[in-house]
Amino acid sequence: MRSLGQKRVHLQFRNLQFAIWIEAFLALFLILGGYAVTWGAVGCDLNDPDRDVARLFPESTGYKTHYVSIDRKGGQPLLAKIETRLGDKFRGIYETIDVPYTIYEIFANKKKIGYIHGVNQKGQFGGIQVFVVLDLEAQIRGFYIQKMTSKYAGKLRDANFGKQFFGLTLKDFELYDVTSGKASGRVEAIKNPAPEAEADFRAALRATKKNLILMDEFVYSSP
Amino acid sequence: MITKFQVAYKNLQRKRIRSLLTLIGIALSAWVLVSLLGFNQGYENALNKDIDNMGFELMIMAKGCPYEAATMMLKGGTGLKYINESIMEEIAKEPEVDKAFPMLMSAVFDPNKGESGGIAGYFGVEARSFAELKPSLKFKQGKWFTDTNAYEVVMGYEAAELEQREVGDMILMPEKNVEFKVVGVLERTGTQDDGTIFVPLKTLQKIFGRPDELTTIGIKLKKGVDSARLEEKLYKLPDVQVVSLAQVKDTIMKLISTAKVMVLSIAIIAILIAMVGVINTILMSVHERFQEIGILKTIGAMPWDIFKLIWIETLILCAIGGVLGIGLALILSKVTGILIRYVMPYAPSGGLVLIDLKLVLITLAAVLGIGLLSGLYPAWKAGRIRPLEAIRSEVGR
Repeated sequence: MRSLGQKRVHLQFRNLQFAIWIEAFLALFLILGGYAVTWGAVGCDLNDPDRDVARLFPESTGYKTHYVSIDRKGGQPLLAKIETRLGDKFRGIYETIDVPYTIYEIFANKKKIGYIHGVNQKGQFGGIQVFVVLDLEAQIRGFYIQKMTSKYAGKLRDANFGKQFFGLTLKDFELYDVTSGKASGRVEAIKNPAPEAEADFRAALRATKKNLILMDEFVYSSP
Repeated sequence: MITKFQVAYKNLQRKRIRSLLTLIGIALSAWVLVSLLGFNQGYENALNKDIDNMGFELMIMAKGCPYEAATMMLKGGTGLKYINESIMEEIAKEPEVDKAFPMLMSAVFDPNKGESGGIAGYFGVEARSFAELKPSLKFKQGKWFTDTNAYEVVMGYEAAELEQREVGDMILMPEKNVEFKVVGVLERTGTQDDGTIFVPLKTLQKIFGRPDELTTIGIKLKKGVDSARLEEKLYKLPDVQVVSLAQVKDTIMKLISTAKVMVLSIAIIAILIAMVGVINTILMSVHERFQEIGILKTIGAMPWDIFKLIWIETLILCAIGGVLGIGLALILSKVTGILIRYVMPYAPSGGLVLIDLKLVLITLAAVLGIGLLSGLYPAWKAGRIRPLEAIRSEVGR
């Protein structure tokens, strides 16, 4: 049987074990948290995720953030597959295989109800950030250009322009040729509100198609 | 013959989980301690580098709060008021001045950045003098402006990355609706220049309707001159404020010292927890070996021998824990730097945690010293065990 002194020592030991586990847990949390922010290339995040998710997905109660890159998900073969589906090469010094894509997984209570995902796209006068809001069937239910530098940016960022994308899917965008800008089917019906900014209009469509392909590869067709 | 070290090591191995947990406690404490001390010297080092990278020792700006203006400068923000370009001539006459560099910072509101818009900043410089000021700047693509009145820009690496710009592309200044051609993209420098868009000075003055006006003049001093004397002379110029970058550094370091004290307190608590852990572990070990120590004494071991044996156990625990903690701090120094940068309102560019050999040795010595101190009581207690009393007692009294 243990003496009183021994019991005290044992209790001290238990408390110390607990303190050490807390310290170890904190250390692990810090390490994992740190690695999440050590990406190389620039990604596309919502400026204010709490506010933006609530605005883009009004019925949501929470979200989770995931970081995926083509490099980590499938490397060069995946990049080649995405380029084939897009009908265009990844161009420039910033559209690279290691770009980290931020996927916001949206929840209503504990039930997953959709996704928000954004991509960077080269525009005529600056970078364009195009976000699509998708339901679980990969149908667009929201469209948001977070950033665009153009004299006509206001027209392209207008809610009425975004509404033209509602209900479209990747299948619709498969009929859109990003290099020539020729479209058929439902994408053809999307009207450019600023004909003077044709280059930025086409950039927005290319970004949307790229966005949907990436989401298909990362989420919807992913095992 | 088996040595005292081997005996102590075997004793620690008897209760592996307990020894391991104590080791983790010591390692985490050492990690916190070395990271904190590394932050102490890393932050100052990075701040010095940032200030050196600016290329000048004194700044002249319009009267206002110098610290606010200087901090905004360091962060690549905008100046508060304007000074006349003619001051440049008066400054250049001073014998202490090597070179003076005119700068104009301007910002516009971009309504198409996010939901509520954002600020886009531009930095007007003279290409030739700015290149002299910062010879370390290298181009990833292109070169400096062709003309002081050209509608051209040179972009820092991150600014170009965010705007997806390459040489030959066009860029639009929101609000003013002025188009520029990108003629150069700089390589990543790890400084505030990465996020900057450089515009020819005269062009920026024209666009913002401020001909002959500047926000800042940077002054590079001749080697070995008395900076304070020049500062006194410059203060006599009308409506200008002189800011010494050494003064800016001191102010920032004073602000940081509060945060340092708080982190140091946490480190001390972690060390105290580790000390209690060591005392607890060794004390329990002594309790469990009460009879064994009695037998050792019966066969001739002196109190000092027992004391040394127990003390060596402490030494082994602290040495291994200390080395593990220092290793952890070295491996995770970059991650620690990222986390500090995330938390702090202003952090200079470059590595914020600098761990060198001297720091490693100091930390190891401190951990060993504290550990040995913790081992004193259990070792003394073990040395005082009376052989007969120990042999007669129940196991682990």
